Amino acid sequence: MATFELYRRSTIGMCLTETLDEMVSNGTLSPEIAIQVLVQFDKSMTEALENQVKSKVSVKGHLHTYRFCDNVWTFILQDAVFKNEECQETVGRVKIVACDSKLLTQ
Amino acid sequence: MAATTTTSAVYINVIEDVINKVREEFLQSGVDEGVLSQLQALWEHKMMECGAICGPIERSSLPKQPGPGGSAITPVHDLNVPYEGPEEYETPTADMLFPPTPLQTPIQTPLPGTSEHSMYHLPTPSDYPTPQDSGGVPEVKPGRPSPYMDFFVVPSGKRKREDFPPQVPGSGYIPQQDGAGDATYDVFQSELAHKEIIGPLPHLYIWLYPYQGVASEDYNTVNTPAGHELHAGTPAVVAPIEAGDDDDDEPPLNENDDDDLDDVEGEEPNTQHLVLAQFDKVTRTKSRWKCTLKDGIMHINSKDILFTKQNFLGHRRSPERTHSILPTDEAEAREVNALWFMFLIAGLGIRGWMVVHTRRAFLGHT
Repeated sequence: MATFELYRRSTIGMCLTETLDEMVSNGTLSPEIAIQVLVQFDKSMTEALENQVKSKVSVKGHLHTYRFCDNVWTFILQDAVFKNEECQETVGRVKIVACDSKLLTQ
Repeated sequence: MAATTTTSAVYINVIEDVINKVREEFLQSGVDEGVLSQLQALWEHKMMECGAICGPIERSSLPKQPGPGGSAITPVHDLNVPYEGPEEYETPTADMLFPPTPLQTPIQTPLPGTSEHSMYHLPTPSDYPTPQDSGGVPEVKPGRPSPYMDFFVVPSGKRKREDFPPQVPGSGYIPQQDGAGDATYDVFQSELAHKEIIGPLPHLYIWLYPYQGVASEDYNTVNTPAGHELHAGTPAVVAPIEAGDDDDDEPPLNENDDDDLDDVEGEEPNTQHLVLAQFDKVTRTKSRWKCTLKDGIMHINSKDILFTKQNFLGHRRSPERTHSILPTDEAEAREVNALWFMFLIAGLGIRGWMVVHTRRAFLGHT
């Protein structure tokens, strides 16, 4: 199964990476197994987002930067307004990184 | 609360899923299962610290719960019984660090000297970074009795490494901190660093879709090196792009295209607000961008929000309409300046007209 390493940059992914880093430097874990854990995280996170999340969000903003490189879109929006069922958030500047969803289904 | 309850629940599920699914690999590689629970505990602890999950964590299957009844760890031990302490050497899980049950009924501060928790007392009692600043760990109340806190909050952020003694399995293996161990660590580090570097490539603007001036563009042609597994963070080598074959009207990118904003903030402005997702569709109609994203994690205003679908509309400001991005007062100032300039021209014109006419009148008289 193809996976994205994209979600490792999220809070949960960063916490896992830090944890593994500490445990590898402790000598508690081998680097190989730490990488296996990260790969499993990629899979589990993707599955969880597919199956357990139902909420929808819409965003409007001024597009400051757009870039499409190696099948990854990067956008930087300014004065973006995020709306979902529960709340509305406004941010001055947000970065959106998106991988091609078709790569997972191939 | 920094995380919504649903986000927190999904995060907890993900942690559990990962731990369960790597268990076999751990056992196959001969790693003690205690290491796995240590990993889980550390991970959950970090998540709580940054407020991404809100404890207490309720699990369907608690890994190892001491004591009968399945209740959380009881802080009071009968000191008359000879202590056979597996708990002391047991890897602390986040449940042990932040026990769910006694929170509603905080135990009374014991009298000094008779404290039953003295055996757990640590030499550095008040060395605890208060996580309630982030608002994410609701169960750590400021008014809690201090011995209680000292007991449970052993591995705080400041001394996490020392607080988790390396797991010593029955074979007596003690991990070596120097020598051969460093080599493997270096490999891991460089692996991580490598990923960091080849992840985002800030300056690599590739115009796969040259501007044609048409009304609408669809960016959804699959342009993938298909066949093998693809990882987003480790992109394949970009195929050489036929730059220059196209007779584009647009001049090639040069330094004039740089945004002054970019110059100020380095190669890419560092944004704490981040959305990580997959895209289904990206289209552009003139300066109007429309994107459909799915399965994403947002970190917005220090909140983590997960979504299954996201539509986003972006308006690209065209450089011709720069006046529109001026702050209002500056734009007004320009207008006022323009007005003065018109008056000036008008004034000169009237004067010129007057000069001409007076001369004419003068000449006419003579």
